[in-house]
Amino acid sequence: MVLFALLLLLLLYFIVRPRPVTIPIKNRHVFITGGSIGIGLAIAKQAASEGARISLLARSLDKLEEAKQSIRQAYQVDVAIFAADVRDYDTVQSAIKEAGPIDVLVVNHGVYAIQELENQGLDVVKFMIDVNLTGSFNVIKAALPLMKDRKDKEPASIALMSSMAGQVGIYGFAAYSATKFGLRGLAESLQQEVIEDNIHVSIIFPPVTETPGIVEARKNMPELTKIIVGSGGMKAEEIGKITVNGIKSGSFGIPCNFLGQTFAIATAGVSPQRSFLMASLEVVFAGLSRFGGLLFQWNLYGTIEQWHAQKKQA
Amino acid sequence: MLLFPVILFPFLLLLLYFIVRPRPVNIPIKNRHVFITGGSSGIGLALAHQAASQGARVSLLARSLSKLEEAKQSIRLSSGVDVSIFAADVRDHDAVQKAINDAGPIDVLVVNQGVFVPQELEKQGLDEVKFMIDVNLMGSFNVIKAVLPLMKERKDRGPTSIALMSSQAGQVGVYGYTAYSASKFGLRGLAEALQQEVIADNIHVSLIFPPDTDTPGFEQESKVRPELTTILAGSSGSMKADEVAKKALDGIKSGSFIVPCNFEGQMLAIATAGLSPQRSFLMAFIEVAFIGIFRLVALFFQWNWYGSIEQWHAKKKEK
Repeated sequence: MVLFALLLLLLLYFIVRPRPVTIPIKNRHVFITGGSIGIGLAIAKQAASEGARISLLARSLDKLEEAKQSIRQAYQVDVAIFAADVRDYDTVQSAIKEAGPIDVLVVNHGVYAIQELENQGLDVVKFMIDVNLTGSFNVIKAALPLMKDRKDKEPASIALMSSMAGQVGIYGFAAYSATKFGLRGLAESLQQEVIEDNIHVSIIFPPVTETPGIVEARKNMPELTKIIVGSGGMKAEEIGKITVNGIKSGSFGIPCNFLGQTFAIATAGVSPQRSFLMASLEVVFAGLSRFGGLLFQWNLYGTIEQWHAQKKQA
Repeated sequence: MLLFPVILFPFLLLLLYFIVRPRPVNIPIKNRHVFITGGSSGIGLALAHQAASQGARVSLLARSLSKLEEAKQSIRLSSGVDVSIFAADVRDHDAVQKAINDAGPIDVLVVNQGVFVPQELEKQGLDEVKFMIDVNLMGSFNVIKAVLPLMKERKDRGPTSIALMSSQAGQVGVYGYTAYSASKFGLRGLAEALQQEVIADNIHVSLIFPPDTDTPGFEQESKVRPELTTILAGSSGSMKADEVAKKALDGIKSGSFIVPCNFEGQMLAIATAGLSPQRSFLMAFIEVAFIGIFRLVALFFQWNWYGSIEQWHAKKKEK
């Protein structure tokens, strides 16, 4: 049994691709979309505290000014700010050109409205797809040529902010999960296209996080979704720290808590894994995680059934 | 040591028999209304032929009226059945809504339309990226949203189906497929959430994952495919549209959430089972038993793929 484990570890040590990499951020340029509030701002603060040069892109100049102020006060660091809507490629591109060569691109912007598809307007669905998915393509496409041509051939990073709703679809999340699952298809393909240029793709899977965004979403969230998802959440600062650490270690999939880690193992699928240790855990625990996933579905559908039954009685 | 699995396996099977959700279901298609988007060619047309020959009433939606007329003709010739045809672009919700209202209550909705243009994101025009996302993903939302209210209010409370055509590119992202994979991965997020929202109305969601399939669309795609994509995608075989359609229909009728189409697809489905629902306790058992091995196989695939990518770039540099 132990021999088997050692053999597996050894085998995986040699086969994991892409190979492990470390991505320094001190004195390097970190460009964060959706960087004026929430997780984006937390990432900015963490990276600033580690000596990175920061640029923030978001829609509202006011919020960007506030963010700039708060980072200056906390870290005595000046960040560059760019007001643009990620749906508008031309303004994104001119912002990125102005910002200068990017070492770590954090595609973090996102919007969410949680509702049954039946009750959700198609304009809201379109909004989420346009911002979360198409918008991410706009940002990456604008940054890619400069990243590929960078003089300093140190490892660079493109990090995408997904969500645990990008690992499993949940009642009320049809459109949001569609966009966050989509980011993973983008990431897996993109990594194969940019590995040659020493660019490393990461995708982060936070749980519900206490941000202005979630406060807004909770107002219209279906009751059943609230029951399923629960009321807790992680702090944006924690996600910021975990994100920056994950990016520095070049990990492809970056979960943010223990449950997220089990989700990551369950949904490892055919995604790349650079850490032979993590790969071994995935191989060994995939079966148990799948079993856990089936229990999760059993519980989930049971909750849905109960809720409908109660509604009928009322 | 050997006794352990012998005791464990039957116990696990029994446990899974009780816990798999949603519960298994059979969805009849004879004398029921099957509505297929992207139904005028390729996999959609093959599905239409087979559904018609199994006694279903078939409606086709596609952009080109002339292709729809040809499809209608060919189905009449081969099975003597008359299908209804509706010309609409799935990106136009109003046109889709009108077609669906005209078609009448739907029992099996097959959201099959799709476009694909493989290219490195660096080289691909954003208009093409937007095209794929708009048609494959947003278009699917348009279609489902148009059908849902009528499906939920149907008089015949028999089990109905919403089937989404994904792709093996919706299970793993490969060089050249950033936008296409994004749109197809997206369908899975949609499907997993949607199933939870519609289960109470006896509506059952299926996702079909074909490999490269011999269709007019694929012929177009092959012309512009990056060399490296062809090298990497060659790992999975290709199939005929009829074969894919048969697997798809069987999967829809058995109410399976994930419907692979060939052996490699089955392995991919197990590897990427993730947190998706599984109605068959046998399949669930196989997933739990084999997903670890398939994760190992997947890691080998990545080792092979990244090796090929490295080699290909090295060759290019030599020139």
